[in-house]
Amino acid sequence: MRRRLARIAVRQLRRHPWSLGLAVLGIALGVAVAVSIDLANSSARRAFGLATEAVTGRATHQVIGGPSGVPDEVYRRLRVDLGVRPAAPVVAGDVGAPDHPGRSFHVLGIDPFVDAAFRPYLGGEDAGQTRARDLLSRAADLVARPGAALMARSTARDLALAPGDELAIDVAGRRRTLTIVGLLEPADPASARALDGLLVTDVATAQATFGAAGRLTRIDLIVDDDARLARIAAALPAGVELVAAGARAGTTAAMIRAFQWNLTALSLLALVVGMFLIYQTMTFSVVQRRPLIGALRALGVTRAEVFALVMSEALVIGVVGTLAGVVLGVVMAQGLLRLVTRTINDLYFVLSVREVALDAVILAKGGVLGLGATVLAALAPALEATSAPPRVVMSRAALETRARQATRRATWLGLGLFLAGAAVLAAPAGGIVGGFAGLFLVMVGCAAVTPGAALVLLGPLHAVAGAAFGMLGRLATRSIVAALSRTAVAMAALMIAVSAAIGVGVMIASFRDAVTRWLEGTLRADVYVAAPSLVGNRPDATLDPGLAARLAATPGVARASTSRSVVVPGPDGPVHVVALDVDPARPPRWRFLEGDDDGIWGGAGDLVIVSEPFAHRHGTRAGGTVRLRTDRGERDFRVGGVFYDYGSSAGTVVMSRRAYDRAWDDRAISSLALDGAPGVDVDALVAALRARAAGGPDVVVRSNRALREASLEIFDRTFAITGVLRTLTMAVAFVGMLAALMALQLERAREIGVLRVLGLTPRQVWGLVTAQTGIMGLLAGLLAVPGGLLLAGVLVLVINRRSFGWTMPIDPSPSVLLQGVALAVLAAVLAGLYPAWRMATAPPAEGLRDE
Amino acid sequence: MNRAGLGLGVALLGVVLALAIWPAGQARAPRAGIQATLAVREALGGDTAGFARARAPRPLSFPEDHGPHPDFRTEWWYYTGNLRTAAGRHVGFQLTFFRVALAPPEPPSAEPRPSPWAARHLLVGHLAVTDTAGGRFHAASRTSRAALGLAGAQARPFRVWVEDWAVEGEPPSALPMRLRAADGEVALDLELSTSRPVVLQGEGGLSRKGPEPGNASYYYSFTRMPARGVVRIGAETLQVSGLAWMDREWSTSALGPDLAGWDWFAVQLDDGRDLMVYRLRRHDGAADPFSAGTLVAPDGTARPLGAGDFAVETLDTWTSPQSGVRYPARWRVTVPSIDLTVEIQPRLADQELLVGPRYWEGAVTVAGAAAGRPVAGHGYVELVGYGE
Repeated sequence: MRRRLARIAVRQLRRHPWSLGLAVLGIALGVAVAVSIDLANSSARRAFGLATEAVTGRATHQVIGGPSGVPDEVYRRLRVDLGVRPAAPVVAGDVGAPDHPGRSFHVLGIDPFVDAAFRPYLGGEDAGQTRARDLLSRAADLVARPGAALMARSTARDLALAPGDELAIDVAGRRRTLTIVGLLEPADPASARALDGLLVTDVATAQATFGAAGRLTRIDLIVDDDARLARIAAALPAGVELVAAGARAGTTAAMIRAFQWNLTALSLLALVVGMFLIYQTMTFSVVQRRPLIGALRALGVTRAEVFALVMSEALVIGVVGTLAGVVLGVVMAQGLLRLVTRTINDLYFVLSVREVALDAVILAKGGVLGLGATVLAALAPALEATSAPPRVVMSRAALETRARQATRRATWLGLGLFLAGAAVLAAPAGGIVGGFAGLFLVMVGCAAVTPGAALVLLGPLHAVAGAAFGMLGRLATRSIVAALSRTAVAMAALMIAVSAAIGVGVMIASFRDAVTRWLEGTLRADVYVAAPSLVGNRPDATLDPGLAARLAATPGVARASTSRSVVVPGPDGPVHVVALDVDPARPPRWRFLEGDDDGIWGGAGDLVIVSEPFAHRHGTRAGGTVRLRTDRGERDFRVGGVFYDYGSSAGTVVMSRRAYDRAWDDRAISSLALDGAPGVDVDALVAALRARAAGGPDVVVRSNRALREASLEIFDRTFAITGVLRTLTMAVAFVGMLAALMALQLERAREIGVLRVLGLTPRQVWGLVTAQTGIMGLLAGLLAVPGGLLLAGVLVLVINRRSFGWTMPIDPSPSVLLQGVALAVLAAVLAGLYPAWRMATAPPAEGLRDE
Repeated sequence: MNRAGLGLGVALLGVVLALAIWPAGQARAPRAGIQATLAVREALGGDTAGFARARAPRPLSFPEDHGPHPDFRTEWWYYTGNLRTAAGRHVGFQLTFFRVALAPPEPPSAEPRPSPWAARHLLVGHLAVTDTAGGRFHAASRTSRAALGLAGAQARPFRVWVEDWAVEGEPPSALPMRLRAADGEVALDLELSTSRPVVLQGEGGLSRKGPEPGNASYYYSFTRMPARGVVRIGAETLQVSGLAWMDREWSTSALGPDLAGWDWFAVQLDDGRDLMVYRLRRHDGAADPFSAGTLVAPDGTARPLGAGDFAVETLDTWTSPQSGVRYPARWRVTVPSIDLTVEIQPRLADQELLVGPRYWEGAVTVAGAAAGRPVAGHGYVELVGYGE
């Protein structure tokens, strides 16, 4: 008997290759999206960890300074006078590689003779292969030869460089040359990956490269004794601090994690849509074989056996789909990794990851997700098939009656899920994970109320369709209600996918709108001059002071103001500080969440304003204080206001240049804002400034408009991956729709056959089927509008705030909503094309053969 | 010696092993052995292009020549000594500073480098204290570039230092010299004076290491320096006095291809004479013809000894439990021309330094007869190139 049941399963799977294939494709796509995002994320995360470790090494603590770093003398004092050992100097920074577009390097300047305790791989743990003499001459070269550098063998191979070759680098616009004197080749591949993108030089070369003679980025220490730490801390001059290593990396890691969480959540959405697909396929297969199952039950096949039959069919689909999904996911991960890395590079950290690290755990996780989703989705149809008494199972009408009853229950369930989701979202302790849990509850709630809501909407639609298309129109809407057990699931799946598209679309549109307005308020001068920053919006570079003065004196410039952007240590990690030299009569026009910038620009008193992400992260309010480590020691600054800002999710503290100069001995400037005299053409002014800057270090001179466009370009690049995920989710939904409609229409062969015999032309069949699918698409699309807005609200108000610390007004632009509805209708109609074609062309007798 | 070889080897290996071995654990890593095997021959063969060579004797003047000679590739200041507390407790010490050029001297036209870290020399310090009564041997090293005041060497006033280890001379003659170094369990602070004139080794200070011209060093010594001061071992601070020995040498030379290493003996006898002999060992264990020595009379007059003027016979061996290397451990040294036969015995068997390169350098006692009369003394022995 068991074998016979197995044969039934096999036959079912073989007789419906279309629905089988689509179900496999759906689950495969869902799993692929989840796996690929997981792989891309973990590869990026691992590279980040390795890269941080490669640079931090085994240090337990670091001595760090203000914007200008730590004076050399502090190191000499620690090492010689206080006998702090091991201690290692580090001068680090990022540089571009003009001859290798798209690549950037982290220059790590070390002292090779004391560094082994911190970064052993640099000295060559590969000494077994490398000859000792070579190691010595390498270290000697590194120290004694100006401009000498080491790079990983793999990097050198990629760039076709060999020892002895020169490498042009771009340091904040100044072109310099390093000479590769040796290659690093750590024994284990993980370290090798970490070294990718690293240029190791001597401290002296690094200081010369960055124009920072006499200054260290930090001093690395290995100390495990608190008393000793206290002695070291006490011996440091003002403005130089002892901090635990990893404090800096930790903050960056937390921000990257938030970003990655968003991607993971979006990828799971694709899987959820895939789950609907399985559910639908299994329901279809059960519904279609109701007579068979009823007969089997009447013949004495037990419930358990029927259950096993249905589940095993689902498992076959699940296993095949999951396997295909994992393979596809690995392939897709490569492409996604590029997008993920680019965003991380733009926003957080110079990261060079070029290969996906295949992690067995992640692949296994993908497998479990896929199979779990299959089992979960097949559970309801399997229970459905077994729970009913044999006779009722055979009745199709009974099923539809029950489906309508279930609709009512589902609506109540959906409302319950909304409440639960709202409660989870309201709990502030939930964090990002809580935010997404709430989001999923709300989404599932939306799916659950879809059938009920669709029934309500079908009432008026029925009347409209009847008035417009007569009997056929009424037939189209009626048949949706009549086959609710299948149409409802298809509509719910489509609704979820389209709401995700709308929700994410509205979120991005609102965000972009907020950023555009923020840029308008922030960028008020005509022309901006800055040293070229390597990547995205991170503040690294400084402007040559002589050049800045020369540019400010260009004819046609009416006013010049400077800005200095630095990262200073704070009690809870690094803080981005911006010092603006602003004419108090012409303050920037920023929007304030609370408080204002009154009295700040005059520079009297230690008054600052902080950005919304900063306030969110540190719990700062207007009227409160911010503690910063200045060159005169720790100092409290009073917070005048909290302003909307989308420049940095770490948050920014803004103060006047005068206040900054009082607290820090840093006279550098990062950028220059110039206003043209009345009547001066901005483009001509830009050209004049460029001509004046020519010959000196590279600077970027951009008009207000160009800068705004460049900022938005980074914005769009950041959201490129989100767009890709949105598309993938839609693809899964499309497959789902196609599968549902195919099943539905094929099942209706008999009904259509009857209609054909009654005189319906093939053209009319086309019309009928297309109308029906179009109406389903329209329903799903209409229902996706509130669903999408709800999703956008959660994304903007909860997820964005918890992930990045910023909020923005929700801007439900009609175009995004219309796009969503159109998308749903289009997907449905497209999905109905093939079934419609088959219905219309099949000879009517075919459909009636059963009779 | 000839620590020409040793100095160079130690200094270069110090660098290499500071790089390659350090992270494997504090010094006593078995890997050190493998590395040293790889390294000794490698390290001693270097590019001599661009450096000054020691080709002919030259007059030495002090304190200038106590200071560095940066045109030569390698240079060292080598202090060893046997000390005693008033109660007779014996303590041996070694404090050595090596200077190694990282690159040949720059042409005067070279553009100055902007960073104060820019350096062309490396200084390596080795410190060892032999606690004979406690049966313990302590060794440590320091390595630093000569820049930023971290390490350096200068003649006026005379000072050589690596971080917190230093030797300083009293101006204007640089004598007495003050030695200060500390690491972990041990510390020393000693004042070294001399009653004897400087001894010029080899031919008026030019010490040949091989047949080819230029393969030689400038080499002078203070063979008998009364020393007094403080040595700390663990929690104990000991007031000590005794005799120290200073070797100074600079060169741009390499160990010949057929040499495996050397055994170096520096002995202060109680009849007022000082004897230094070194035996350059070939790979088959035989003594090289360039082995040599010096006999210093109580009045300070020095007489060079050729390879045929003395004999060294190994009486015993000791196998290091750390490195597994077998070293000679007791010797009979004879100088027939003065009818001297002494037996030399280590104060402690284990005086092996594993702070970078691996070698044995330790305090010894000396006993025997000269011209039929009993003679005793103490000194230091250095064994390099074993187990390779």
